[in-house]
Amino acid sequence: MIGSVFLETYKQTWKQMVYWGVGLAAMALMVVLMVPLFDMQDVKDLLETFPPIILAMVGIGKELEIFATNEGFVAMGFFGKSALIFAVYPVVMGMRITANEEDAGTMDVLLSLPVQRARVIVEKFLAYSVSIVGVVLLIYLGMQLGVSIAGVDLDVARLAEVTFYLIPLMVFIMAVTMLIAVVVRRRSIALGIVTAFVIASYMLQTIGAVAEGTVAEPIGSISFLTYYNAGDILTEGFIWPHIAGFVVVSAVLLLASLYQYERRDIAV
Amino acid sequence: MASASVIEISGLSKTYGSGSKQTAALRNLNLNVQQGEIFGYLGPNGAGKTTTIRMLLDLIRPSSGSASIFGMDIRDHSVEIHRRIGFLPGELSLWEGRTGQQIIHYVASVRGDTKDITKQAEELAQRLQLDTSKRVRDLSSGNKRKLGLVLAMMHSPELLVLDEPTNGLDPLVQQTFHEMMDEYRDKGKTVFLSSHILSEVQAICDRAGILRDGDLKAVESIEKLMNVEFHWVDVQFRDAVPERLARQLELSNDISDLNINGSRVKMRLVGDFDPLLRMLSEGYVKDLRVEEPSLEDIFLAYYSDGREAR
Repeated sequence: MIGSVFLETYKQTWKQMVYWGVGLAAMALMVVLMVPLFDMQDVKDLLETFPPIILAMVGIGKELEIFATNEGFVAMGFFGKSALIFAVYPVVMGMRITANEEDAGTMDVLLSLPVQRARVIVEKFLAYSVSIVGVVLLIYLGMQLGVSIAGVDLDVARLAEVTFYLIPLMVFIMAVTMLIAVVVRRRSIALGIVTAFVIASYMLQTIGAVAEGTVAEPIGSISFLTYYNAGDILTEGFIWPHIAGFVVVSAVLLLASLYQYERRDIAV
Repeated sequence: MASASVIEISGLSKTYGSGSKQTAALRNLNLNVQQGEIFGYLGPNGAGKTTTIRMLLDLIRPSSGSASIFGMDIRDHSVEIHRRIGFLPGELSLWEGRTGQQIIHYVASVRGDTKDITKQAEELAQRLQLDTSKRVRDLSSGNKRKLGLVLAMMHSPELLVLDEPTNGLDPLVQQTFHEMMDEYRDKGKTVFLSSHILSEVQAICDRAGILRDGDLKAVESIEKLMNVEFHWVDVQFRDAVPERLARQLELSNDISDLNINGSRVKMRLVGDFDPLLRMLSEGYVKDLRVEEPSLEDIFLAYYSDGREAR
């Protein structure tokens, strides 16, 4: 029956989705609750004293004016380079699409049923994508709760954009993880490669940001993290070409995974 | 009328690795399994049994050759084939955090019929004395195996593919399993069963194939496999075995595995009994027992280098 793998995957995942969502929402809540404790102009003045490389490492570019606002403070405190934490959940989910099931041996049981390999991958991918949406929704609710409790003046619509922008980013990371796991088969090796990919992306983005205005600046554009910049989203709103980029690349990665998985042996 | 072939395997091979590291897990397998028979696939660990089964289920792809089930190619029609078969893996892994009932419901929903299949699963679970309300992680290995059997059989498949099905099952449940297999045969359904437990194959199967190091050494009916031309002979003399007789036995080409212990002689005899009986007349024979070779003996004979069962 179409949708049965999706439903079962979601049933097996919803608790983790809630745990992760509540944990990240608590972080968001904490950052929002801290807003009234600071004078944002002081924060901006303090940031201006830091060398650019330090600012680049925590995800702050030259747009320091933004960080003199409440929204900018939340964006810096929660969605800045600490956004690397958002990579963990999609990596975990991406590993579950094929690698974990093959490692555990349950894929043999699943694929002995009347179901195509492609259907298994697509339904699992969709189920985990929905769980990503769930996590992001919980983060947003945590932030809203913080706004209600602290009574701070925040442009909720702008913060919603920054928050929901996480969805294509996280789905992209999950798609990368899935493809790597499909290609290399072994869970531990796939995990190592994905970790290296995320760290390398972080380093490339940092180098690109620090080297702004030099020949090394384009290096940053190789990193996917460059296309998720909380400061840019706060000033410009949704950057649709970047979102479309994440969606298109994720779709290509999904198709590549389907192609490769259809052709290879199932590992045990 | 000849039965239709349910499984047809032609020149199936599987190699792993490449270059000097290439190893053959299965070589040029040709095999037919007929409708309504229980086929035993015998071999020790690493012989290629699981490789064959995983290829039949399209979990791994052949390096060469082809196979069909119900007349359909295993690669091109895997979904249609899987709808009509039940599978129990040798090393069964299930979703640890889910209960038996939840897994049954999941598998039934993928099969597209939760109501009838779930009902049948309940009956099977009852028969195998399995509590399906427990989580998989809380089940013993025997109970996991029972759950695996329920999952494989709950949709009444036309073909059962079972990899070491009784591993970890207690003797009473094994007996129930044997009865279930008999019922399957009576219904005209087919079972492809891999095992290294010879007594099990002997008790359940109609035919067996013997696999060694990726090569199929023989395919025979169980009856015919048992009908090999050697016997175990155990002779009890009234007095000590005469020296002349002992020498004659040692020199005989038809006798091997000779064991003389005081007044008792045990041996493996190939061929006719008459020459042996003439030799035995040297002494006073108090008792003489002849044993048919067990499947294990036959198995060992197939596996001993340069000494195949005749």
